[in-house]
Order: sequence, then C-alpha cells, then structure tokens
Amino acid sequence: MTQEAATTAKEVVMNGPFWIATAIFVIVYGIIVTEKIHKTIISIFGAALMIILGILTQENAFHSTDLGVDWNVIFLLVSMMIIINIMKPTGCFEYLAIKSAKLAKGRPFMIMAIFSIVTAVVSAFLDNVTTVLLIAPVTLLICQALELDVVPYLITEALASNIGGTATLIGDPPNIMIASKAQLDFMQFIYHLSPVIIIVLIAYVITLKFIFGKRLTVKEELRQRVMAMNENDAIKDPVLLKKSLAVLAVTIIGFVLHGMLHYEPATIALFGAGLLLLVSGNKEPHHILAECEWTTLFFFMGLFIIIGGVVNVGLIKWMSIKVLDITQGNLFATSMVVMWFSAFASAFIDNIPYVATMNPLIIDMARQLWPNLSGVELLHHPELMPIWWSLALGACLGGNGTAIGASANVIVVGMAEKMGSPISFKKFMLYGMPLMIESVIICTVYVWLRYYLLKI
Amino acid sequence: MKAKDLMMPINEYLRPETTLKEAVNLLRIVRTGEEKVRVKALPVLDPAGKLIGMLTMSDILRAVHPSYLNMMNLGNFTWDGMIEEMAKKAADRRVSEVMTKTEVLTVRPNDSLMECVDHMLKQCVERVPVVDADGKAVGMIYERDVFFAVVKAMIDDNYSFKS
Repeated sequence: MTQEAATTAKEVVMNGPFWIATAIFVIVYGIIVTEKIHKTIISIFGAALMIILGILTQENAFHSTDLGVDWNVIFLLVSMMIIINIMKPTGCFEYLAIKSAKLAKGRPFMIMAIFSIVTAVVSAFLDNVTTVLLIAPVTLLICQALELDVVPYLITEALASNIGGTATLIGDPPNIMIASKAQLDFMQFIYHLSPVIIIVLIAYVITLKFIFGKRLTVKEELRQRVMAMNENDAIKDPVLLKKSLAVLAVTIIGFVLHGMLHYEPATIALFGAGLLLLVSGNKEPHHILAECEWTTLFFFMGLFIIIGGVVNVGLIKWMSIKVLDITQGNLFATSMVVMWFSAFASAFIDNIPYVATMNPLIIDMARQLWPNLSGVELLHHPELMPIWWSLALGACLGGNGTAIGASANVIVVGMAEKMGSPISFKKFMLYGMPLMIESVIICTVYVWLRYYLLKI
Repeated sequence: MKAKDLMMPINEYLRPETTLKEAVNLLRIVRTGEEKVRVKALPVLDPAGKLIGMLTMSDILRAVHPSYLNMMNLGNFTWDGMIEEMAKKAADRRVSEVMTKTEVLTVRPNDSLMECVDHMLKQCVERVPVVDADGKAVGMIYERDVFFAVVKAMIDDNYSFKS
C-alpha cells in the first residue's frame, strides 16, 4: 500500500454500523449468486434491514439521489415496459420477425445472421429480455418449419441481444444505471459506445459464419413453408400500431435531444408512456400496468437501498481505495482492469447488482483522484470517461460468457428446455465464452486506441 | 347426496411411464357409464393405486400445441401437416410429462356434491376423482352425472305430480 492510500484508508471508520452494513451486503449478494432465495425477496428484505438497523434513514433510502432508490432508473424501466406492453398486441414484432425470415429467403445461415442483427438493433432500444421474448417464439416456429435445430438460433439471438443492448443508454439496465449515476446522456452513449458495438456485431456475424455457415442446411421444399407465410397477417391492430410507432418515434427523438433540452431520460420515457396510454384509447390500464415486470423493478429498488447502506458506512470508499492501490493510480490500467474484471464478473453474477456497486465505487475513486472537483466536473473528468465506458462495455458484454450471465440467456435456456432441446451450462459457454472474449478484445483495442492513443 | 353416491368405479387407468401413444389408444376404446359414453380422460395411478394425475383430451392437445404459440400470435403462420408432425413427435412422450397433476383437485367419498361442482366450475374440469384417506383413487364424479342429479332434484321439487 502506498503511503498516500494508507492515509486515506484511515478515513473509513470500521465501526459497528460498518460491519453490520457489510454483513447485510455480503449475505444478500451471496444469496443472489447462489439463488437460495429469490433475488427480489432477499433484496427487499436486505433493504428493509438497512433501514430498520439504522444504517440508512428512511428519508435517505427513499429520497436521496446518492444513497437511495434511483427513481430515474425505475421510471425509465417502467415507462419502457408500458410502451412495449401496449405495442405487443399490435403484432408488429411478429411482422418484423416473419419479414426477416422471408428476407433471408428461408436460408438457414441467412436467417441466423438477419435474426441476430434484428435482435441486436431492437435490443438497442428495448430491454434485452423483452426483445428475446419477442423474437424467440418466431424463431422456434421458423426452425420447426425448416426442421432445424433451435439451439444455435436461440443462443446466437441471446448473445446478439446483449451485444445490441450495449450500444445505447436505454438498451441494457447497466447502461441506464451508469447514465443516471454518471449523468451521461443518450447521445454520449451513441457517440462513445455505438461505434464499437457496430464493429463487435460485424465481427460476431462473421464469426457465426465460420462456425455455422456450412453446418446448417435445409430441404428445398421446407423453405416454401416460410416463403408462404404472409407477414401482413401478423398485424392485428393497424390503428394502434400507427399510434405506437408515432409515439415511439417521438420518444426516441426525445432521447436524442434530452441532453440538449435538459430533461432526464426518465422524463422522456415517462412522457412517451403517458402519451401512448392516452392515445391508445385504453379504458382499463390495469392489464398494461400489471404486466410490467414488478419483480425486476423491486429487485432494483431493494438493491439501491442496500448499496446506499454500504456507501454510507464507507465500505465502497474502502474498496475504491483498494482498486486504486492495485492499479497504482494509473487510469489506463484502471480502465482495463474495470473492463475485463467486469466482463468476467458479469459472466457469472448478475450485472445489475455488480454495476450498482461499481457506480459509487468509481465515483469514490474519482473523489480521491481529484478531491477539488465535484458534480459534473468530477463525473465527466476527461480521464474518468473511459472508465465509465469500460464499465458499460465489460458489464454488458460480459453477460454473454455463460448461460447465467444475462437474463436474456436464462430466458432462451428455459425456452429450449420447454421445447425438449435443453442447453447445458457447458454448451452455452462453448459458444458464449469465446464470443464474449472476442468482443471484449475488440473493445479493449477500441478504448486504448480512441481514449489513450488518439485521445478523441 | 355425497360424492360416494354418484361416483363411477375406476376400471381403467394409466401409469405415469406409459407413452402417449399407448394412452390415446386406451382413451379411444374405454367406455363408461350406463350410456356407454366414451371417456375423455383417464386417471393416472402409481403402482400403489395412489392418484397422481389425470390425462385429459386437452392435455393431449396441449402436448401437440407448441408452447411458443402461446407466447405470441403466430397461429396465422402455421402450416398444413404441422399438427400431424407434432403428434408423431409427441407420441413417445410419457404420460407423466403431459398429465394434469391433481394435488388439489380431488374430493373424498364423504364430501358433498356441491364441493364437486365447486371444483368443476372453478377449475374448468368435467370430472373430479374421488380418493380415500390414503390418496388411493376409488372413483370418479362426472359432470353429466352431477347434472342428472341436479335435474332430478329440480323436477322432484317443482313438479309434485311426479311420483
């Protein structure tokens, strides 16, 4: 330990509350990893403990931006869920998928490539799990029609959704969380992450071509089944579809402009959800609202409070001192450690609690590096920015490593099992891990080239 | 009237390890009741005679109806011959994978007929198995038999001229 770090470390008082908060944090995370109790239940209970044991006041837990529930994240998620719940019955997602299969002319590798690209693009704007839930059923149908093994298709779609989700602020929960804490806007994500994700996606499809290009074949007459499908039959409610697409367009334009207009992303999303609820002519919103993923939302709320507790007692600050100690204050080294550590950590643990912990850790680290700065000046320090991007890239893409690395993976594994073609942990990893490492290598080169060599 | 007064004896049943192919063959030939109606469902019993499930016609239709069709509106995109393909694939599946599990959906011989109807309406089933204290299947209550009991009660009350 350097002399300087040792002195700062002493500022963290390791008293009773410190150890209580640490114990709650470690036990809750242990249970989340081992899945002994449902993660949402333990997260709510852990949050309640933090408040009842006096680690955090209720005021802080509910209302503090630094220590409490990040309502920016919650409202952004819930608003996007509402928009999707209204759009789902219109049939637009079925239309998109059938159209894609026909565009591929029923050729097996082309279907895989086009479905991967469509999944990635849709994932950039919608939640990954939602995207996979929308594209996978159509994939299963198409595979059945073509008598193809569904497993490679399901795995490649889950991986593509995690890649695509990394590209934007709203694509994946870790990005939403990072954007909120680091006060980054939609266009900054587009400017910094989308270029490398496009490269990663191209490399991904080329790699798939090498793996699957020659292995997938289909009988000529079966292709006619796909070609005979009429995608227009999918549209169930053209009027609602037009309204939904218009509102979605307004919402996305809103995201593009929110930084300039000084609105938080959640404000834009909430406006989109409210507007679509209004124009959809829905008289009974109960169904739309009930279908929001409340288990996920409450998991987030509990987690924010638990993290608030360990931030309050100084555990996160202590951890940030240790990280700086390891990297000796070298920020290039730090960003590389953050990216690769995040990738492997996210491959095995949920990236949401991981990023929830890393966000305050990076902020605490920044405070020690630049003690005179605060607010946006501190959060957007030019030398700190690559670390935020490394965190986003590592945490999102890392999810591709294993079957449990991302929620989208868990969903496809479950679907495959239901269809009678189970995907083992090993089988998923066989595809996921090398492709994950490939993508992180591309990102490593990108971060090094762009932020440390060319400095643009 | 109690369940035991109306239940029909169980003459035919399935084992959990039976294949669907064998099961549907049995469903095809078994007839029951005075009117010799064809059964639409059979109880599944373990070797000790304990009731562990019911295999109904709907269960068999569900077994050939792929789960992804439930997730989205894809019925328009199915093709002629698909159901036959799915049926061939499902033929070798085991009864235990497809059956409706009946942990709650049973009555005891001394339970009232109203309890049987309560189950039928709330769970949307046409028959309720009757089990004894050890969980052994002792009979089956059919919707049509309950209906005839109701008919009898109505007519007896309202038409006193009938003997």
